[in-house]
Parts: sequence; C-alpha cells; structure tokens
Amino acid sequence: MQLVIIGNSAAGLSALEAFRKRDRTSPVTVITKESTIPYSRVLLPYYLRGKTTFKNLFIRSEDYYSQMGATCITDAVVKLLSEKQTLILENSAPVSYDRLLIATGSSPVKPPIPGLEGKGIHHLWTLADVENLMPCFKKGKSVVVLGSGFVSLQGAWAALSRGLDVTVVELLSRIMPNALDDHGAQILTASMKQSGVDLRINTRTLKVEQTHDGKLKLYFNNGHDLVSDFIIVGTGVRPNIDFLEGTGIEVDNGVVVNHHMKTTLPHVYAAGDVAQVPSTFGGPCVIHALWPTALETGRIAGACMAGENISYEGSLNMNVTQMFGITVASMGKFMDVEGAETWTDKTLSHGQYLKILMKDGVPVGATCAGGSELVSTLGLLRPLIREKISIQGDPAALKKMLAQNMTRYHQAYGKGASCAL
Amino acid sequence: MRFITMDIKKCVVCRNCEYACSFQHTGDFNRADSNIRVAYHDDIKICLPQTCMHCEDAWCMEICPAAAITKNEETGAVEIDSGRCAGCKMCILACPFGNIHFDKSNLISRKCNLCKGEPQCVAACISGALQYVTAGDSCRNNREIFQRFMATLHTPL
Repeated sequence: MQLVIIGNSAAGLSALEAFRKRDRTSPVTVITKESTIPYSRVLLPYYLRGKTTFKNLFIRSEDYYSQMGATCITDAVVKLLSEKQTLILENSAPVSYDRLLIATGSSPVKPPIPGLEGKGIHHLWTLADVENLMPCFKKGKSVVVLGSGFVSLQGAWAALSRGLDVTVVELLSRIMPNALDDHGAQILTASMKQSGVDLRINTRTLKVEQTHDGKLKLYFNNGHDLVSDFIIVGTGVRPNIDFLEGTGIEVDNGVVVNHHMKTTLPHVYAAGDVAQVPSTFGGPCVIHALWPTALETGRIAGACMAGENISYEGSLNMNVTQMFGITVASMGKFMDVEGAETWTDKTLSHGQYLKILMKDGVPVGATCAGGSELVSTLGLLRPLIREKISIQGDPAALKKMLAQNMTRYHQAYGKGASCAL
Repeated sequence: MRFITMDIKKCVVCRNCEYACSFQHTGDFNRADSNIRVAYHDDIKICLPQTCMHCEDAWCMEICPAAAITKNEETGAVEIDSGRCAGCKMCILACPFGNIHFDKSNLISRKCNLCKGEPQCVAACISGALQYVTAGDSCRNNREIFQRFMATLHTPL
C-alpha cells in the first residue's frame, strides 16, 4: 500500500506519525513545495520579534523522514488524476498512490486593491515570507499592516517590539472579528494604542503607489493617506486546491471531508487548513485553519489511512496569544448569541476579562483578555465543551467543581490514583 | 516509572510543597512561581494539591507548535524545554487540569518536571500526603483513567 501525503506542516506531520504508529512497513512519500525540514508556522511571528531563534523554527530533525521511513520529494503538485490514482508534479516524475492525503494548507489572499503588488508588499505566512521580511524589520522603518486578525496583529506586535512605526488598517469597525468578542477587542485595542500603534478601523484602502524614493503611498477612503516603507497584507487565506481542478472532488470553502477525513474521491483524504471538517457543535462543516485542528484532523486521517476506523469528534476553534502586553484567548462560541447565557467573572480586577457562554448549563465557548492565568480556565472548559458536560452551578465554581470531582475520584480510586490520576 | 501520588485525607494545606517547588526552580520562595498548587476550598473542606499528571498522550505535548514539550524517557516526566518554548501559551490552553503556568520573568510556560526524578514537593511534604511511588496497575494508563475521571463529571455530587 503506497501512501502519499501532500504537505509537511501540522496536518501532514501529524498524519504521518499517526500512520506510522499503526503501519510500520507500507511505503510513504511526502511531497512538499517547501524546505524538507518541517518548520512551525505558528512560531514565525515569534522569530520576527526575536522571541525565538531561526534554529528553533524547525520542529523535526534533519533525518526525520528517514527515521519515519518516508521518502520526501520537494516539488509542487500540479494535477491530481484521480482515476489513475496519480499525481503530476511540476519537475519530478508522476507519483502514484493507493491512499492520498491532501494536507496542502492555505495561502494568503490579497484584497483587490490597485497597486498592492511588487516591491515592499509582504505576507506573513511562510518561512520564505519571513526571510523577506526580516531585513525590513529595522528600527525607525515604518510598516502598514492590512487586516487585524491573529497573524496580522502578531506581525504588528513584532514590528513594534523592534522599534518600527506601525499602522494597522482594518476595514471593519473593530479588530480581530474572528477571534475575540467586542469587549475583548476593546481591551486589546486600548493596549495596542497605548503601545503606540496607529490603529485605523473603518478604513478602506483605495490604492497603493510606489513613490520615487522607494516607499509606498497608501490612499484611504477617509483621506488620511500615508507613506510607509513596506506593507504586510494579512487579510485572510484560501485553501490550496488548484491542483484538484477537474477531479470532481466536493469543494465548498475547502475540500469537504467526513468524520474520517475522507473526501468524496475514493482513497483520497484531506486534513488541516485545506479541509472543511465537522465541527464539535454539529451543523455544517467548517474551516478553522488553526494549528490544533490541523494536528487533530491529521491524526484522524493518518489512523484511518492505516485502516483504523476512528471518527473525529469535531473541530473546536481555539486561539491564544500574548501581544501588546496582554494575553487574549478564545474557544468555541464566544460571541453573544441568542439562546445562550453569558457569564462574566465579576471578581476580576480592572483590565481582566473572562466570559463563558453556556446553553442549558453546558459551556459552548469562552474568551478572555488580561493575564495568562485566565487561559487555564479555558483549558478546564475544553473537555466540558467537547463532551457537552454541564457546569453544576455557577461557572465561578468551575475550579471548585474540578476539585470536588477530583476528590471524589481520589476517594473512589484510592491514593494510588492520586496526583498522577 | 514513578508518579507523584497524593492522599487528600492527609493534606493540611501547609503549602510547603509550593515553597519547595518555587525554591527548586527559581531559588526563591514565591508561591506564585510554584508548579504545584494546593487548591483549598474551605467551604467544602477540600484541599487538593494539583500538579502535572504527566499524561500518557499529553494534550500539551501534542499541541506545542514549538516541539518544546517531550516525554523524558527515564523519569516519564512531560517536560518543557525552556530553550525551545516561545511562550505562545497553547499548552496552557490545552491542559484540561490547569496545571501549566506562565513564567512571567522569562515569558515562557513552565510546569512540573518531577525534579529529574527527585520531586522536592514530596521531600518537603510534612504530612505524608504527597508520595513518589512506582506506578502500579491503578495508574498505569493515565489516559484511560483520565477518561474515567471525565465520566465522573457527569454524575451529580
């Protein structure tokens, strides 16, 4: 059985490792268009900020593929011939598969703004992007970040930490619409401004021009135009699915898969950012395009491709980061919605925010802003959200509930099962 | 393989374990720097020292985007490599027990590492509540036990 995995980031690696746990002999080929040593996308902004080293970006060893008994081909996949179970590559010979995993990830998209290309226009997505950005990150330079999602703001934070003048431009009326609620966004906005970021909400970029002294001029709908040394475009991503054209595979926002990560094509699986996967809340499939979801879906795909019949419990979105001096995190459903009760922790000091959303006593999501201790409360909630376990009483008693249950557990199973459970 | 176990009937919330942990890892006695935390709920008369369970398939270890969390083959401890940790806090978000903390001076995550096989919290425990014992059948498979534990959450107290 020949397994072929396209992609060597979170989903691809996780699938390979889960597969090898179950099948040590079948040949595996990994095709990647990037460097053969896997690196961590999550760490790229941390590297830009100087919080981690270049060496630490690489999360597997140089001999990783030989250790895993896999062959690695560095090339781009041009086409999938699903009837022949073959992949056409750009430079190398075609590769046949018995089972195929599409873990091709996603790529940043540029909004249709005239002049938004060429010199000085960057993304913050791949190692190559960061290598291009690094020489621009010099004290005294100026950068405009288009978009205010997680990656954009981490880029802005990295630039600010290195002494650049930073402007963040957001089309909507608030930052981080996909990861924070209004109040959390307000707290982060305040600390961004306090840190010295020129934040412009409700701002549409009309066009970008290269100036004769090598800079970029941005024109905005409100007339407050500005000149900058370079631009980071962080306005969303789209799945890498061009090579699937003509295969008839079901694609909605991404490649649609079932609970076993199977696509609608025989012997073809998908995982990670490219896949539209079941959600933990049921309903339509989702693309969370997050590291944890990529790991989980990769693990399920790897196990299923090795013949194990396991099902995905559904993606639960979760985000955390520290920037501009505060920690923000969210999980599950964190926007106030009808039919859900909202609980906020009133005992917290000023600038600390924790909100839990519940439906019929069952937590469905939470968000926080402030200190890092708040994040661990979200951690306690995760199994409850996934297993749909109701909180007995007030969420304030969450830690007490854990203690009570652990105590009961200790009593039931004796001291041998104590701290180590 | 050895685990830290705890007899809740014996814990008297003296917090020696917290001080010992802090001293071992920072050279100072600051409870906020301890990796073991005694949760004391006086209204329900519960005192529960909480520290890393060193889970078999640790969620923190799987999720770490820096590959900074590994299992020490000798001690069985799930350890954070402070040289690799970038401080992203994903592990804190992943831990279902709240047993990973943030080191505010070095801006990285930190957790129990079993003190390389000589846990100082156990050494400092005055009541015998904390023990460092060889794994018996009851805690051989942490994951399975964890699942059984999660199931107990369903049942009303």
